[in-house]
Order: sequence, then structure tokens, then C-alpha cells
Amino acid sequence: MTYQTAHLGPITVDESSTIEFPEGLPGFEECRRFVPLQHPEYAGLVFLQSLERAELCFLALPVRAVRADYSLALSADDTVLLGFPEDYRPALGSDVLALAILSLEEGRMPTANLLAPVVIHCLARRAVQAIRPDRRYGCRERVEVQEAVCS
Amino acid sequence: MLVIRRHPGETILIGGEIELEVIECGHNRVKLGIRAPQHIPVMRGEVMLTRDQNISAAQSMAGGAIPAVLGRPAPGGAVVPLLGETPGKRTA
Repeated sequence: MTYQTAHLGPITVDESSTIEFPEGLPGFEECRRFVPLQHPEYAGLVFLQSLERAELCFLALPVRAVRADYSLALSADDTVLLGFPEDYRPALGSDVLALAILSLEEGRMPTANLLAPVVIHCLARRAVQAIRPDRRYGCRERVEVQEAVCS
Repeated sequence: MLVIRRHPGETILIGGEIELEVIECGHNRVKLGIRAPQHIPVMRGEVMLTRDQNISAAQSMAGGAIPAVLGRPAPGGAVVPLLGETPGKRTA
């Protein structure tokens, strides 16, 4: 199916590439369906494009591109929302992908939200923005985007 | 900041419309019950932080963040899905 987007032009998306946020994202609770996209020229960078709002697209990086030693901390509620048993600890990279949403304000250092990564259960294609139960990372962690994106 | 000591089962009233009840006190966490009118949003502090962060992230895209940060315009057309039958290079 083809969608019009504000930043990437028209995109053709197969259902198998889409993800659903059962509860939306904080601030965008009504937006449930997204498609994570990559561009060959921006290897590593992920465009998280809304399929319901053409102008809504987040830029994100895999958490380990921001902090190589990042380890996931999921609450029981988020684990269940993703479709896993409550006491299951999903493995980063095989069970789930975790993306840190980037904030890029002009004149300021880019930051990544490592407090609340977007966690995607790859097989179920369900996703949550999972706020860590601990305070190990902040929501505005500095990131060298140019270094993380190998173009 | 006003600091009040309460026991489980006791309540605090804010502005006559909002009631806060201490339901349970655990070792390092407290269970609270909140009764508030529909028009007053109630959310955890860190959800509020993430909400503000998401809104500013979305606005920065609308303001042309891609060229500002990457030194090049947004790519046209040739995007590849991260998941699905024709997956792009998968990264964790």
C-alpha cells in the first residue's frame, strides 16, 4: 500500500513491515501504526514514519549505536504489552529491537531518549515506548549523530 | 514543597477535586490511588518527560532537522523497511 509522507515522499509499504503501538506514544496516543524505514545513504538511522499522520516521523538510532553497552530494562506491563509472558526477559537484537528517538534542535547538540526507547517485538510487530523502571539513562543523552550514521 | 506524612489508607485532598490515597507502602515503592475529574490529566512524571521529548522531536523534524544535522536533504523514495519480508539491514 502506498502512503504519502511529508518528509520521505510517497512510500510503498507492505503490511509485514508495519508495527503497531497498542497504546500509541506519549504525546501521540492516537497514532498506533508506524513503519520503521532505513535509507541506504544513512545506514543505521531509522525513520519511524506514522501511517496515520503524514507529517509525523521520528528519527531514531538503535540504542547500541548510541551506547554500545546499553542493556534493556522493561517493566512487566510493557513486557506483556509487547506480547511476551510477564516474567520473560526479551533479548535485544533477536526478540526485540530498541530504538532511541532523536531530538535535533537547531543550534543544540542532538540528543537521544535512552530513558524511553521504542521497543519492537519483531515477530509480533508490536511496539511500546518503554520507560525504564530504573534511572540509568536520561531522556536527553548526547549523541554524535554523524558518527553513529555511517554514510 | 509541602511534605505530609501519611499512613496507608489515609488520603490527601488537592483543590477539593483531587483525592490522593496511599494504598500500600512497600519496601521501596508506594502504591497510590488518584481520584480526579476527567479533564485533569494524571500521568507519571517520566511519561510527562517522554511526552515533551516526543513532541519536541516531532517538531524538530517538521523544522527541517534532517538537513541541519546530516548536512544533506531528506532522502527521496529509496527507503527500505527495517522489518518484514524484504528487510533492510537489521540493526539492534
